Amino acid sequence: MGDRLDLIVNPFILFALVALGAIGVCLALPRRGVNPQIVGAILAGTAAGILILLLGARSIHEHVQIPNLFFYVFSVAAIASALRMVTHPRPVYAALYFILTILSTSGIFLILSAEFIAFALIIVYAGAILITYLFVIMLASQSGREGIESGLVEYDTQSREPVAATIAAFTVLAALLALSFRGVKELPAPPSATVAAVVIEELPGKVKRSLVNASLMTESEEIAFSGEGKDRRAQIDISAGTIKVTGSKGERTITRDQWSKQVEETLVVQNAEGLGVSLLKDHPGIIEIAGVLLLMAMLGAVVLSRKQVELDEEAKQNQARRLHEEVAKL
Amino acid sequence: MNHSYAVMTSVLAQVGSTTPLDGITLAHYLFVACAMFAIGLVGFLTRRNLIIMFLCTDLMFQAAGVAFIAFSRYWLNHTGETFTIVLITVAAAEAAMALALVVLLFRKKESLDAEEWTELKG
Repeated sequence: MGDRLDLIVNPFILFALVALGAIGVCLALPRRGVNPQIVGAILAGTAAGILILLLGARSIHEHVQIPNLFFYVFSVAAIASALRMVTHPRPVYAALYFILTILSTSGIFLILSAEFIAFALIIVYAGAILITYLFVIMLASQSGREGIESGLVEYDTQSREPVAATIAAFTVLAALLALSFRGVKELPAPPSATVAAVVIEELPGKVKRSLVNASLMTESEEIAFSGEGKDRRAQIDISAGTIKVTGSKGERTITRDQWSKQVEETLVVQNAEGLGVSLLKDHPGIIEIAGVLLLMAMLGAVVLSRKQVELDEEAKQNQARRLHEEVAKL
Repeated sequence: MNHSYAVMTSVLAQVGSTTPLDGITLAHYLFVACAMFAIGLVGFLTRRNLIIMFLCTDLMFQAAGVAFIAFSRYWLNHTGETFTIVLITVAAAEAAMALALVVLLFRKKESLDAEEWTELKG
């Protein structure tokens, strides 16, 4: 198999499956009267299952005995819990299914070797945002009031225009999936330590730590820098295999033949380090924008959700008089 | 016996492996992202509960994140991951604003039904 798979699934089968999935989702949406939710769920599940089986069958190589389970487990869990979230009539359960989707997508992120984002996602989304959602759902819930049986309200049990919405959304899906007919490539192998040298040369602290651990330099010595201001950079040249170090005894150079294989391995850039360098060096504006955005959101949330306290005139006068007396006492 | 052992070790070897999964192409990840996006879109259009509508926008954010990370891995740089950080920030800001709005609207009408607010169409 070359690096370019011509077609991953036959287009007719793919679009038939998309249509089947659309019918299933449409049936699975909550509605009044006869509720064919289970039929819909089974239909949508069958469509997604066949598609995933086809993808798996297409991707089995001769030398691999089984498809890569982790991708399929996480993607099935993500899609199934997303489907259940959209169709569940109770908001609290919908939020909990969304947490399951988050966990599955962070599993996919781990497969894609984006560890930092995977854990940040769990902490920020599942830990913070979803808990806020749950609080608001519970605060703004109408269940348990008089006249509402089974704790469900009408706007949760009936969906709005299920057919039209499903057709619209799955047309978008079909259009997006059609892009894959241009041919797909496998993911490239991760870069070796020497390819990431550009990044490691930006991280003198990390280089110092691994050299100190290997007893190639002492704690009191520092990695040498050259240049001033913007041009200031650490004297680390991985491709030439030299690292310049300054200490009380002057400058010396550590060359590649002094490193052991273990030192070479500790110099590999990890995901979080690479992401940090990319964030701070290539896209520093993002942090500023994110900060302003979060500040604005906080201000907006405070202004919007604040309760108007109506003090009457008498209370205001009393307050003013009391304050006046306090000031006079001082 | 020997065969099942080989199968099991090959599955376990996938844990913590930094090499890309064999036979899983970029299109596989994009399939998942597109499916999640479509489901989120269906939910946003059909559900009438304001909170679930906002949850569905978050689902669409997630789908975009999967696509970003897959592209980031495909091109072997961190730009996609950097943008996913922005995405998480935007999602957090959106959640804060949306929930404040929902609380405000709930206080006005004692209901989370989006149809209650059809007069906003003008």
